[in-house]
Amino acid sequence: MGLEKYQGDLAMCHRCSACKFIPMQKVANKEFSYVCPSIARYDFHIYSGGGRLHVAKAALQKGFQYSDRILDMVKNCQMCGACGVSCNYAMDMEVMEPIQEYRIQSVKDGHTVPALDKAVEMMRKGNNMVPGAAAKRGDWAKGLNIKDFTKEKVDVIYHVGCLTSFNKDMWKLAQGTAGLLRKAGVNFGIGGASELCCGGRAYQMGYEEDFLKQAKKNMAQIKKSGAKTLVTGCADGYHAFKVLYDKYNLKGDLEVLHTSEYFARLIKKGKLKPVKKVDLTVTYHDPCRLGRLGEPWIHWEGKKLPGGNFVFDPPKTYRRGTHGVYDPPRDVLKSIPGLKLTEMTRIKEYAWCCGAGGGVNESNPDFAAWTARERIKEASSTGAEAIVTACPWCEKSFKEANSNLKVYDIVELLEKAV
Amino acid sequence: MVVETKLVKIVGAANVSDKPKALDEYSSDMSFVNKVEPAYIVKPKTTAEVEKIVKLANETNTPLVPVSSGPPHFRGDTVPGTGGAVIVDLSKMKKILRVDRPRRVAMVEPGVTFKELIPEAAKAGIRLNMPLLPRQSKSVIGSMLEREPVVMPKYQWDVSDPLACVEVIFGTGDEFRTGQAAGPGTIEEQSKAGGVQKAPYGPGTGSYHRIIQGAQGTMGIVTWASLRCEILPGYEEAFMVGSSNLAPLLDMSAWLIRLRMVNECFILNSTNLAAIFAKSWPADYQKIKSELPSWILFYVVAGYEYFPEERVNAYVKEISALTQRLGLASAKSVGSISAYEMMKTVQKPSDEPYWKLRYKGACEDIFFLTINDKTESMVKTMLDAAGAGGYAATDLGVYIQPAVQNTSIHCEFNLFYNPEEASEVQKIQNLSAAATRALLNNGAFFSRPYGENTRLIINRDAASMTVFNKLKNIFDPNHIMNPGKLYW
Amino acid sequence: MTFNKDIYKEFEDVVGAENICDDPLIMAAYKDNPFAAVIMPKNTAEVSAIVKLCNKHKIIFRPICTGWTGLFVPGSLLIDLRRMNHIIEINEKNMYAVVEPYVISAELQAETFKRGLHFCVKGAGSNCAAILRGHGHLDETTSGDDRNHLAVEWVSPEGDIVHSGSLGSSGEWFSGDGPGISLRSILTSAVPPGASPGIFTKAAVKLYHWPGPTAYSLQGQSPRYTLKDKPAYMMARYFSFSTVEEMFNAEIKIGESEIALEHMGFNPAMVAGNITTCNEEFFEVFGRMAKQVKGPGFFIIIAGTSAEDFAYKKKVLDKIIADNNGESLKMVEDPEIEGILLIQCTRISASIRETFRSGGTFKSIPIMGQRDLTIKWATGAGEAKMPLIKKGLILDDGGGFFGWGVEQGHLGKTEIFCAFNPTNQEAMDAVNQWREDQKARAVREFYFAETMDNSEEVSKKLCNYLEWWHKIHKALDPNDVSPEAGSLV
Repeated sequence: MGLEKYQGDLAMCHRCSACKFIPMQKVANKEFSYVCPSIARYDFHIYSGGGRLHVAKAALQKGFQYSDRILDMVKNCQMCGACGVSCNYAMDMEVMEPIQEYRIQSVKDGHTVPALDKAVEMMRKGNNMVPGAAAKRGDWAKGLNIKDFTKEKVDVIYHVGCLTSFNKDMWKLAQGTAGLLRKAGVNFGIGGASELCCGGRAYQMGYEEDFLKQAKKNMAQIKKSGAKTLVTGCADGYHAFKVLYDKYNLKGDLEVLHTSEYFARLIKKGKLKPVKKVDLTVTYHDPCRLGRLGEPWIHWEGKKLPGGNFVFDPPKTYRRGTHGVYDPPRDVLKSIPGLKLTEMTRIKEYAWCCGAGGGVNESNPDFAAWTARERIKEASSTGAEAIVTACPWCEKSFKEANSNLKVYDIVELLEKAV
Repeated sequence: MVVETKLVKIVGAANVSDKPKALDEYSSDMSFVNKVEPAYIVKPKTTAEVEKIVKLANETNTPLVPVSSGPPHFRGDTVPGTGGAVIVDLSKMKKILRVDRPRRVAMVEPGVTFKELIPEAAKAGIRLNMPLLPRQSKSVIGSMLEREPVVMPKYQWDVSDPLACVEVIFGTGDEFRTGQAAGPGTIEEQSKAGGVQKAPYGPGTGSYHRIIQGAQGTMGIVTWASLRCEILPGYEEAFMVGSSNLAPLLDMSAWLIRLRMVNECFILNSTNLAAIFAKSWPADYQKIKSELPSWILFYVVAGYEYFPEERVNAYVKEISALTQRLGLASAKSVGSISAYEMMKTVQKPSDEPYWKLRYKGACEDIFFLTINDKTESMVKTMLDAAGAGGYAATDLGVYIQPAVQNTSIHCEFNLFYNPEEASEVQKIQNLSAAATRALLNNGAFFSRPYGENTRLIINRDAASMTVFNKLKNIFDPNHIMNPGKLYW
Repeated sequence: MTFNKDIYKEFEDVVGAENICDDPLIMAAYKDNPFAAVIMPKNTAEVSAIVKLCNKHKIIFRPICTGWTGLFVPGSLLIDLRRMNHIIEINEKNMYAVVEPYVISAELQAETFKRGLHFCVKGAGSNCAAILRGHGHLDETTSGDDRNHLAVEWVSPEGDIVHSGSLGSSGEWFSGDGPGISLRSILTSAVPPGASPGIFTKAAVKLYHWPGPTAYSLQGQSPRYTLKDKPAYMMARYFSFSTVEEMFNAEIKIGESEIALEHMGFNPAMVAGNITTCNEEFFEVFGRMAKQVKGPGFFIIIAGTSAEDFAYKKKVLDKIIADNNGESLKMVEDPEIEGILLIQCTRISASIRETFRSGGTFKSIPIMGQRDLTIKWATGAGEAKMPLIKKGLILDDGGGFFGWGVEQGHLGKTEIFCAFNPTNQEAMDAVNQWREDQKARAVREFYFAETMDNSEEVSKKLCNYLEWWHKIHKALDPNDVSPEAGSLV
């Protein structure tokens, strides 16, 4: 690992600015053409994907140097991956990976942000990324009689995640999910008080070692349970288990599914039958880590071929956001009678972020809220009454941004229909 | 003050004159500018001679007034603005230097008129994007340097079209070639390599032809120019659309040009159309006019080398749908005027006498740029001014020429009058000033200001004037080029 | 290199603390130039105030739009126009749009498509500013170079706000020329060959009729968007010919018969670059394509305003191609590939895939003007690429050049480039040498002179134009704070 690995990629950036916008083919109007919240909000070029690469390139050439502005740049990025998708429409080069490596190096060099240190410290001590006593992690399930996968044999682990577990407003998501799984006859279990933070958000913040520790703990617990499938309703968790654990060769053959994927599958099989009408016009927000960043990790080791062309042996396949989870959540919504889905300008692989990722929720709530408000503006422009998402962090962002729209998780609407 | 012997040394005795009759001819024109007699008329034949004249003028602080067209002149720009001026009459520079069909380009000296160039171009299979019915003595270069509007707006990509490159002797006496013509190499060397001096921009960042165009000879003297030409159609059909209202015709012209379906395209009022076609006055004129609707849109649909009739038929069909939508009807004639006749008429210069002079002997033009949707209001402003000035609305000629592919409209009012009647002359002079003021207040843009009204116009834009002055001081630092004209 | 505190404060007072930064570490993002500071004005008044301060303190400034390319002076002030990103007006009837510098072409095009209009998207790509001077894929019908601007709002090098043409006289944007002479003589915008001094803060650009849909309906995920429904009256093809002469004759006939919406003299490498999603796919497709083409060729889009118009244009195209022994590339006839090329060429203006992806960077010689003349030269310049290709220093594109007709073949644009790995010094040196040699040959053989570098030597052969330009510059910029330093993209 490390930034050096991406030296060739860094040299490929020509400051074309594609990373600031949604893919040019998809620019449908002036109003919703930007894709990167950081450059859209802070304007100096270092806040863009390309700008970050240039700073990283300079760090490789001249050594890592830090200033208030550079640290501001580092922290004010949701690590949403949109810049990479827009770049990789045309270019063969890694974008998000070197940006992630730069963050990791900053943490290693001790240039951290107090708010993020605090969040990671919570994880170190209590296995969760949000305030709350570890012992209370399973409180949402009190009286629901759900199996504990650490004690009982289950087919499916339902990983609830930190925010859903500790934020009482989000309990309905966990309870709804559990209800639906039960209705579908799934043999599932939860970790309850033993559930561990996935570590994904710590990774986004640059705390690679803490993430790895957390990942190893999780995988030990999962392996011990013997379950082959893990389902989560949190896009951060989904990304961590499916993509990041795989990146570090920790995932093994665990099948990781987002609830939207799992429910879409159950609906298709007839195990869940949305029959009740939900009269609502909604628009769907693709969470970054379910959508573009939710595509599988691609293991590749190789060398650049000699000559002038940026090609490799063996050929390198890039993660360009092509294979993210876009259709299952839409399929779930479309299965609900009466519900009308209208799309925003920026969707799927080029969706605008909700604002919560990359530690921005913790380190710069104003920026997180600004990002969410931009999204709500776009959602409102579709004429929808509600914005629907598939991640508690997105839901939290939109609610805290004082949305004039109703905000739902997909689970809530499916629950109404089943 | 320049002395005759030096001029004679440059151009030869036969080409220098200070005979009273000759001086008198150049001392006034049909505009309202004051009569000022020049000191000499010189008629150079080569660029080298022009260069020497300009250098001499700099040494002797002598004003130079370049003239390329023959009389009558109308705008006062060729009448000396100060005493002691030398008229540089370029009418002897008459060479047609190039007519090139494959590259659609021609190159001429300043004395070449439309009447002379059109047949030469036609022989090669190309034609010029013409101004509307220029007088026979009008210089092609003069017209282009004045940014005269052209009748085929579809082919006017830039307001500078059809001008391509020029060779110019700046007011400093330096020779310069604009655009592609600048180099490398002489024109002969360029020609040998296959170059035809067509790209107008440059050299480098500047677009120098745009300093010379519109300058009314105040920046330098052009000794040749190249111009882009269009190919002669294989087949063409002309149409007219009459209407009592201007608005639908403006709408229609906008669509025709936007869809690039027509070549010649402009609007005239009945006064102007009758004035163009009347052979005898006043009976013929009155008769033609009485049979015409108030406004007439004229357009030509053409096909070129491949299946030209098919192309014309496809467009005619499409245009017919458009006319129906606008509640109009295209026809092959309006009143007693056939569209075909109109087409043939506007593809050459005006017959003699010049069409604007046939009615009453003189004509004062008020012209400016506006946009399509403001044109009607400009016409109303003019009619109000005419009414207030005691000029019969029915006598007012109107020519509306969509320009630069629809992005602007050249709007021109023609005030026909009798130059022999002093009271009428005064009336027209007053009306011209009052109307210009009213039109300015209504947002008219007098992009080519001439004569008395120039100051009024430029006063509105002091910031541009500051920059113009800086340019003037570079290209004509001693202000010898046509002093007293434009804003200098 | 940074300003002293008092000067910094003066600039800060204009834009607010949030919009100026002098941290040397951020300069890596700006072409690694050690700017004294980067400042981001939000409107013309702020630009004017900044420029006046620059004059007061004799500070060199340089504006950028999206900032792709440019040459910069160390220690100068970078005026990043990012925040000036508004479309001021789209005037449908009079066919122009007024934009600020940071409106990118993709944005303006999306908005104009809705109104059945479009404009000249420059070859730098739709990711670059719409306000730029220059050439693009659609030049055949949307003109190019300095010919698309109407009125311009300009902050002079001394900080004065100047409105050209009708804007200065009557507050409207439809004309940039006069009264009398034209400020467009010097306000030619800011990309090669050179940049006008001062700063364009708004400009009106000409719009043209767009015969295609108000928005393309696309399907699929990045990086492979395909057309769901091909517009009924649009068609894209690639034709190749046995000789350059036949190719050019067909090009001229296409221009004269006014049938093409786009004529783009792509070489096969550029077509392959556009239709493929990664380098490996590119090399495979290019390899196949190179075997299928007869020789030099071009890409063309035909678009009709009606079924009859479309049928007519197709018929003429067939005739011209047959007359010149052209051959349609079967690969492009595949509706999916045809659709990709349609959207790539009209919406993206192609650029990034075809220039940067395979090698990493490129160096080119672009020439505007008389197309037949420049093709003659480019053929030789292509041959001169072959030794570099043989040595493996540059991308093997068969020595291809490219170019297209402008204004229905009245003018043209020709360009030839070498794509190579920017970290390979040997390649860089070889390409630089090739560039110098070919530019020198163009002058020696009286074809043209490339003026991007403002060489005094070249100026001498072009009527000493730099002397005039320097005089103009000096008059406009007496404090020498607004250098001409490459392009503003």
